[in-house]
Amino acid sequence: MFKYLVRRLIRSGFTILGVTFVTFISLHLAGDPTLLYVSQHASANEIAETKAKLGFDRPILEQYTRFLSGMLRGDLGNSLAARAPALPLVLDRLPATIELTFFAMILATVISIPIGIYAAIHRGKASDGGIMLLAIIGQSMPSFWLGIMLILFVGLSLRLLPISGQVPIIKPILEGNINEAIQNLPDAFLHLIMPAFTVAVFSISRNARLVRSAMLEVLTQDYVVTARSKGLSERVIIIRHAFRNALVPVITVLGLEFGFLLGGVVITETVFSWPGVGRLLFNSINQRDIPVVLAAVLLFEFLFIGLIFALDILYVYLDPRIRLD
Amino acid sequence: MNSKVNLPVRGLLFLLIILFTLPLVVVNAQDKPDQDTIVIAIDSDPATLEPAQVSTRAGANILSHVFLQLYEVGQADGSLVPYLAKDYSTSADGLETTFTINEGVMCEDGSEMTAEDVAYSIKRVADPKNGFSGNSNFDLEASGYVDVKAVDKYKVTVIFKAPQDDKLRRGLLSEMYMHCKGPYEKMTLEEASQKPSGNGPYRVMEWVKDDHVTLERVDSFPLRKGNFKYIVWKVIPESSTRAAELIAGNVDLISNVTAEQIKPLNDSGVAKVQIVNGTNRFYVGFSQVPGLPFSDTPGGKAILDPKVRVALQYAVDPPAICENILGVACDRMTGMVNKPNDNPDLKPYPYDPAKAEELLDAAGYPKDANGVRFELTLQARKRSGPGGSDVAQAIAQYLSDVGVKTEVQFLENAEFINQITNHQAGPLFLLSTGGSVWSAQYDMADFPAPKATTNYIEYSNTEYFKLWDSLPFAKTAEESRAIELKMEEIFYNDPPWLMLYQGPEVWGVSNRVDYQVRPDGQTIVYATKLK
Repeated sequence: MFKYLVRRLIRSGFTILGVTFVTFISLHLAGDPTLLYVSQHASANEIAETKAKLGFDRPILEQYTRFLSGMLRGDLGNSLAARAPALPLVLDRLPATIELTFFAMILATVISIPIGIYAAIHRGKASDGGIMLLAIIGQSMPSFWLGIMLILFVGLSLRLLPISGQVPIIKPILEGNINEAIQNLPDAFLHLIMPAFTVAVFSISRNARLVRSAMLEVLTQDYVVTARSKGLSERVIIIRHAFRNALVPVITVLGLEFGFLLGGVVITETVFSWPGVGRLLFNSINQRDIPVVLAAVLLFEFLFIGLIFALDILYVYLDPRIRLD
Repeated sequence: MNSKVNLPVRGLLFLLIILFTLPLVVVNAQDKPDQDTIVIAIDSDPATLEPAQVSTRAGANILSHVFLQLYEVGQADGSLVPYLAKDYSTSADGLETTFTINEGVMCEDGSEMTAEDVAYSIKRVADPKNGFSGNSNFDLEASGYVDVKAVDKYKVTVIFKAPQDDKLRRGLLSEMYMHCKGPYEKMTLEEASQKPSGNGPYRVMEWVKDDHVTLERVDSFPLRKGNFKYIVWKVIPESSTRAAELIAGNVDLISNVTAEQIKPLNDSGVAKVQIVNGTNRFYVGFSQVPGLPFSDTPGGKAILDPKVRVALQYAVDPPAICENILGVACDRMTGMVNKPNDNPDLKPYPYDPAKAEELLDAAGYPKDANGVRFELTLQARKRSGPGGSDVAQAIAQYLSDVGVKTEVQFLENAEFINQITNHQAGPLFLLSTGGSVWSAQYDMADFPAPKATTNYIEYSNTEYFKLWDSLPFAKTAEESRAIELKMEEIFYNDPPWLMLYQGPEVWGVSNRVDYQVRPDGQTIVYATKLK
């Protein structure tokens, strides 16, 4: 196990290096960002001075090396738009994104698994067909469109849920205001429903199909037939025997799902005015705020790699046949 | 397989429904602003609240309530209204302007705002060590600033390198936010960008990044009293979400209403759309820069000819573009100067494609067998609104219709700005630049010299620039105005732009509040009240 962890750590280091390199180079290849940070009326001298001050006049590999050395010290440079360190700006938005992603993940799990099982045990029936049709619709629907439709119908016509914005939970906890976090809970929950559902709908649909097919495969296995012939109740067979074995591929996907959902929040955060990292990343790309883009990409990357790590360890406990060494 | 198995699926679904509906009973789903609060939806977070650096409209709108300016631009007539400054005087040689500021204005740290603070604010912007690059830098540079000194507690003198039109100079200086020396001397640049210490009628109570900025009224402010105790600037980037929030009654003002939102908002019964001619001037630039890849192409050479540039004015119908693409009515501009300071004797070029063709023939550019005179590329950005992709496509079609085969090339925003600022854009590019309602010369400052940074097309009409250089030496306002009118006429007859329109300011305003949209897009709401 230890050897495996070390091997994975080394591989992760290379992955981080690769992603930062590609991001760094592509951002610089898209044009000189200096001009976005001087007045529209700036003179050539002023532009040159700003470029030198920001370090954009240096060879690109030198700039990248500087970035890497800064990264090791936890210094990713200053945001060119906010004139403040980039990493704290991104970290400041992280709790909002984690709340949204986590809640979307919960929604994706608690909705997709029961309906996937339900469809599997009602295979070929109208309810199975209906669920699979909804799953296909869910997978083909653009989240941008779904978000706006939810806003117009649930938020505006029915006035059931808040249209936009966020009420924080994690942030007050981090600041030591537990009471504030508790007081915020109901309101925060209401604010979360529409954006989280928008983020989760693709995953709900995909996972429901996945659970259904995994269950169908397991239900035909010999041990299920044996369990049935032993006279076990169908409920016990499905939950204890079939579902546990169908869970391994599902867990694999659900784990990766968190990373997928993290990426999916960019548009949803914009539609629902959710003050998270996704929106900051979107704005920073538009503004060519390179330090912030790199900080956000790096953060997503760390989260994703950390998650895969945790999942690998989880597999061992779920399926004792897997040996990481 | 027994499909009637009693799984806890239904139970789970029931639990989910309970879980989702419970909070609805406990809290109100939507919080509407109370009587003491006005909520304004803005499309982006201000990023910085540094008074010397701010360069976005959102940031400027917020800071206009937190910091004082020497003068304020009046609502409709473009006049400059005394604010921090009570009055001013200019020295006989025109090189020094002395402002007398109001007494009793307090800084957030409890000290009184004095001439020393005004001098500090200006010096702080001008100090290259601070590296500011916002609007204030442009204002100082454009004013020809040399130095500033406090004469006494309430008098401050600004020194310039050359005489300048009084109104232009005061207007430029008044775009700067005056801040207090005490708190800003103690702050690092990073702190100053995040925690403003003001002196105006409101103070920043809370700034939740990318979510909202809340201002609280300063009741002791001596120069005016805001009608609302709180002003909330809510960041809502998506325009349809802003419109939904307005109809739901959760916000009072929204900007950048799109064409398809105008009718639903007007029909909502809770809000109305207000449309005014804005101060952003939209145009297509004809590049005259030598030595660029397109300079030697037939199209690149053709647009160097003023007769061709005049002919192309007749080929395009900006009012139809406004009506059909932007969903609003607008007038075509006659030059670079916004109303009401434009030359009233100049009439907008009418849409007359037959005349355009006739003039192009006469200029020596007949159609070939394929009906093409020459080819051009129109550079633009993929975006919506008055300078957006639909407008670019429409202009390209209008030009192609008279035999000038035009292809639109969409560039990524940063690359577009890069090319524009480096004078490499063209041969045609769709752009807008900010103007004013208070000074013709401010609008003309896009063209201060043939090689100036903001002269993106390197317009070089000799007579025009001779007149521009003579402007500071005009002895009377009438003489100055006569020069401005003449310059506008030259611009009209030798147009470096394909003139379009003053970009419309389209706002949604809640029926709850009494608010009049300003042409310059500034959102100043201290005088706004409930109906």
